[in-house]
Amino acid sequence: MKIQTHQFGELDFGEELILDFPSGLFGFEQLKKFVLIKIGEELFYWLNSIEQPEIAFPLFGISVIDENFPVEKESEVFGIVTLNRDPMQVTINLKAPVYINQNGKLGYQKIIDKENYPVKYHLFVE
Amino acid sequence: MLILTRKIDEEIIIDSEIKIKIISISENNIKLGITAPPNIEILRGEIYEKVVQSTREAFFQSKNSLTPLPKLKINKLNKKNEES
Repeated sequence: MKIQTHQFGELDFGEELILDFPSGLFGFEQLKKFVLIKIGEELFYWLNSIEQPEIAFPLFGISVIDENFPVEKESEVFGIVTLNRDPMQVTINLKAPVYINQNGKLGYQKIIDKENYPVKYHLFVE
Repeated sequence: MLILTRKIDEEIIIDSEIKIKIISISENNIKLGITAPPNIEILRGEIYEKVVQSTREAFFQSKNSLTPLPKLKINKLNKKNEES
């Protein structure tokens, strides 16, 4: 299927790559279907909505930041990244990770109610 | 909004499955006990609001393409814990 994205222009991909998000994302509960995009060696994955293709979120694998981060069976865990023109102001949301089970084509977001996982965690250090 | 008055140890039951019990009341705090099926997500309102705001901001900022990243290190959480 083809979608017109903001970041990558027109994308053409097989429907088997569509991920179901039965509850959507917090604040975007109406979006139930996404595709996960990774271009070459780019640092971020992109979670692009199928229903509203102009909506996409950069994701970063949280296991790189914290080896002890709560995992879920058969899923990879990502954080939603808030980009910024100043890289030192780029933050990742560790409070509400996105779990993606690529084999099961399923995704969901959870809130981890622990103080050491902030909503705005600086992704980079000098 | 439905407004109910309850006393300590009294409950509210929602949809036959979700029970909210008033445990204790002090000047500024009310302690609630909540029993619900595991698929029901229970969140503190302000945390949910913070997360929603952050996701919206991430969406708006995603329209700004990031300038090529200089050599930056990933800010690891464990390292931070060791240092502190």
